[in-house]
Formats: sequence, C-alpha cells, structure tokens
Amino acid sequence: MAASAAAKAAEQPELRRAVTPWGSFSWGYSDVGADIFVGLGLVLGAAAGASNIAFLFAGLVYVCIGLAYTELAAAYPVAGGGQYFVFRGLGDIFGFIAGWAVLLDFTIDIVLFAWSCIDYLSKLLPFLSFTAHPWTHFIIVFAVIAGLALLNIVGVRESSAFNELVSGLDIVSETFILFFGFLFAFEPQLLVHTMQMSWPTPFNLMNGVSLAIISFVGLESISQAAQETQRPASVIPRTSISLILTILIFALAYSNLALGMHAWHPIPLDAHGHAQPLWHYLGNEDNNGAAVAVLAANVPYFGALAALYVPVLGAILLLISSNSGVFGSSRIAYAMSGTQLLPSIFQKVHPKYRTPAVSISVFCGVAIVELIFAALPSLSPPVREIYTRLFRGEDGITFLGDLYAFGAAASYSFVFIALIFLRFNDSQSPRRFKMPFNIPMTYKGNRVEFPVVAVVGFFGIASILVFTMITHEIGRVAGPSWIILGIIGYLFYRKRKRLPVFRSQPHDWRKAQINILQSAGELEMMDEYIVNVRKMDEQRAIHGDVMR
Amino acid sequence: MKRFVQSEGYARTRLVLATLFIVLGSVTIVRAVMGVGLTWKLLPAFVLGAAMIALGAFRYRDYFAARARR
Repeated sequence: MAASAAAKAAEQPELRRAVTPWGSFSWGYSDVGADIFVGLGLVLGAAAGASNIAFLFAGLVYVCIGLAYTELAAAYPVAGGGQYFVFRGLGDIFGFIAGWAVLLDFTIDIVLFAWSCIDYLSKLLPFLSFTAHPWTHFIIVFAVIAGLALLNIVGVRESSAFNELVSGLDIVSETFILFFGFLFAFEPQLLVHTMQMSWPTPFNLMNGVSLAIISFVGLESISQAAQETQRPASVIPRTSISLILTILIFALAYSNLALGMHAWHPIPLDAHGHAQPLWHYLGNEDNNGAAVAVLAANVPYFGALAALYVPVLGAILLLISSNSGVFGSSRIAYAMSGTQLLPSIFQKVHPKYRTPAVSISVFCGVAIVELIFAALPSLSPPVREIYTRLFRGEDGITFLGDLYAFGAAASYSFVFIALIFLRFNDSQSPRRFKMPFNIPMTYKGNRVEFPVVAVVGFFGIASILVFTMITHEIGRVAGPSWIILGIIGYLFYRKRKRLPVFRSQPHDWRKAQINILQSAGELEMMDEYIVNVRKMDEQRAIHGDVMR
Repeated sequence: MKRFVQSEGYARTRLVLATLFIVLGSVTIVRAVMGVGLTWKLLPAFVLGAAMIALGAFRYRDYFAARARR
C-alpha cells in the first residue's frame, strides 16, 4: 500500500521550475501593474482632491500585505498562495473561506479587467465605448470572457516571455508618462490647491480608500508561481520587494500627478457646460475606465505618441490580467478540491486537453453572471431605476470594483492572522525573509517572534473591509452573500462526505514541509528545518520528563 | 531577453536606474518642501520620494550582494 502510494507520488507530474527572478517579477507585475489602469479613474471619481491620500492609505496597507506574502511565499514555496497559507495556519474551514474569497476575487478579476480592456480600446475605437454603445461593449466583453475560457480549456496560455516583454514595455512607458508629466506639467501648488478646494466628505474618502485597494491586488501571483520559481526562498523576497515598491511608486505618482497637473490640451466642458479640472475629467463616467490613457494623452510632448499606444498597451496588460483570473480561479479550485475543501468535480480534467475544464467553465460562468449584473442598468432603463432606488445608482465598473475590494480585503485579513499563527505554531520552518519589527517571546518553550507589522496590516485591511461594507450598497450585500453561500455549500459537502465539518482533517505538516522544500531545491532550508524539528522534539521530551 | 537580464550590462543598467531613483526621490521631497513648505498635505509626495529612495537603495544592496556572491 505504502509502496504503491510512493510510486503514485513519484508518477505525479511536478511543475517545472523555470521562472527566473525577472520572470517572477513580471509575473507579479502583469497582474498588479494592470490594477492602476482600473483603479486610478475610480478613485479620482470617488475621493476627488483626496485621491492621493486614499492611495497612500491603501498603499501602506498593501506594503504590509506584500511583506506578509513575501515571508510566507519564501517559507512555503508552494502553489496556492493566500489560500494555502490560511489552510496551513488556521485549518480547513478558514482555508476554505479564504480560498472562497480569493475565488470571488478571481472571478471579478476576469470581468473587471476584460471590461477595462475594452474601455481602453474604446479610446482608439469609439464604437466600443460603454457609455455610448452599452450593448456593443457588453457583447465584446462577453466574447472576451468566453474566448479566454475556451483558450484555457484548450490549454493555451500566454507565455512567460510574452508576460516579461509586456511588463518591460509597460514599466518603460509608465516611467516616460510620469517623467514628462512631472517635468513639464506638474505644479505642487496646484496639488495643494486641489486638495484644499476639492476635499471629499468622509463618506467619499472611505469610498475612495476602499476602491484604492484594488490598485494593489495581485501579489498573489508571485506566491502562485512560487512552485515554478527557481530557488524561491532567495528569489521571491528580492522580486516581491521590488514589485511592492514599484507599484507603490506608480500609484502615488499617478494620483499626485492627476491632482496637480495642467492638461496639455483643453479639457471638454462637463455635462452642465462648466469648465472642469483634469482630475475631474479623468474620474467621470466616460473616462474612469481608461483614466491612465486619458492622462497619458494630456502629458506635454510625449502625450501625442502616448495617445496612440497607451490604450493598446493597457488593453494587452488588462487582458493578461483577465486571463490570470481564469487561470488562477481554476487552479485554486483544483487545489482546494485536492484537499477536500471543494467537491472532487473541480479536479476533473478534460480527457483530451488535460486542463481543469469543469473549474474553468464554472468560474467563467460566475464571471458572466457578474458581468450581466454589472451591465444590466445600462442595458435596460427599468433596471437602472431599480438600481438607483436600491443601490444609489452605482455604475457597472464601480460595482465590480466593490466586490473586488471586498474579496481582496477578506482574504488578506485571513492571511495576516495565518501569518501570526504560523509564527507561533510553526517556528521551526526557516524563514529567509521576515517582516520587520518583531517582538521576541517564548511560546510553549520555543523562541518565537511576534510580528507587529502583521497586526498593523490586519487593522489596516480590516478597516478597508469596513469601509467597503459602509460605502458600497451592492458590495455590502453581494460580498457577504457569496461567503455565506460558500460556507453553506462547504458544510453540506463535508457532512455528506463524512469529513470533520468544523474541525480540520489530520495533516502531516512536517512531511509536507520537507517535501515542499525538497521539491523547491532549498536543501539547506530543508536540513535546517529537520534540525529545528529534532531540537524541538528533544526539548519537549526533556520538558515532559521534568514535569513527570 | 533571458540572456540580457543575466548579463553584467543589465546589472549595471539597473545600478544607473537605482541612482536615478535615489536622485528623483530626493528631488521629489526637496521640491515639494521648497514649493509648498512642510505640510501634511504633502505626505503622499514624501512617501513617494521615500519609496523611490528605498527602491534605489534596495537595488544597490541587490547588486553588491550579487557581486559578493560571485
């Protein structure tokens, strides 16, 4: 029996470790880097003159999240990301809830980025504009999602080299936009003036903060790719820190530039025929889906060129991000199914293409339902009236942003708690990177370090979760409903399978950790782990003898 | 691409960019203070400048660590 299990394990195909440091960075960048293309316009529309403050608050929380992910992904270099960390740290049911929240995020990711991709293209092809031609926009977004689902079932995925090329081009392009913008059109006095004159109400500021967090979602990708990264324990901290700082710089730079920049071209009058500042123009319903392209077009000198290619580059980056939602949701569902958190049907692979076709179809189906819900008010005037009455008339992209923020804040909150638990209960696992500011203490006879930044991060992300619930009428209902429906399904499934419902199944984490480190090629860490475990066992034995 | 990112030329280019980040970060902070004065409203600009300096410093550290390994 044991021999056959060993043979089966040996036969199981492993992911090839081919992701280099730059590959790991660009993998993360193609996911997180696309977020600012969506987030900028939404935050400007909500937080007005305090948009940079909203980005600052969300950005500082994101730094804490990034540090937590870096520590955990380097210590547990296995595919699964946040869901795996929570599963390991807090047990089965919380692992399920975190995974389910990540699944919500991935399905929203599919729609939101496909939607924004078409918004960016509409800057070159006006017939794709959502406000002018909602049906065309809806049908094209629908076709993009269906196409991505089909491509993923057939097994075609964008290559790592393509990701690297697009990420490289985007970094260069964004740097140029910011450079020309700050050099020729930015005025600090205008920034302060805008902040003074257009400071939002506390409600709108909270709304802005909750939307700003969507500009920082996607670090998950680096953890997801950990199982395919060469020497993950040393590479992941390097690439993660660079990515965290790069994204923070771009988000803060864009928001400050938008508030303090003189537009190079005359800005069209607003709907009431009044002159409007650039940030207002970027945040209105026509432009909030493609704010970076509009901003780039208004940059002196470089804007003429940027107006031509930024919509295309943005659309490609957003399409990659949308695809990573299709890929990520199916793989997380596949992994959760393997640990009996979801029914085994999600592990079913297509007989010909060997891809998790059921997972792909189900979660793309969920994405299409979300798309219909987001687009419906613009497609049908009676529905718009209902939305206005019930949900303050939130537009489609804001609805998607709400849910994206909810899913991210919920799963990140669990990751912080899992990190604290793992510091206490798995202090033997070597950590090549640790979050800064730790308080050393003794727990059950072991020396452990209490992570202060994780607590700060937890309160930060929890406050964003509260802001999302307070300010978003739809997010307040749809987000918790998704979680509650998932928990009901989970309880039903576990009971039917005669598995522990609220408790966890027994897991041999020591063996699992040795296998993880061995397959990662981190043999030094593996030896260190074995020595640490032995030491702890000896200490416990001595302690037990003394007690007796 | 893969060969380029593993070359010494790429490492040096990153070093030049790191220097630029540090300079730009410092300029951002100094220009903000000189233009408007010390006010909390410029907090995002200060953090932006600090993040640029941190990214530059991180790349320097990365470069010297890689050189020490070689």
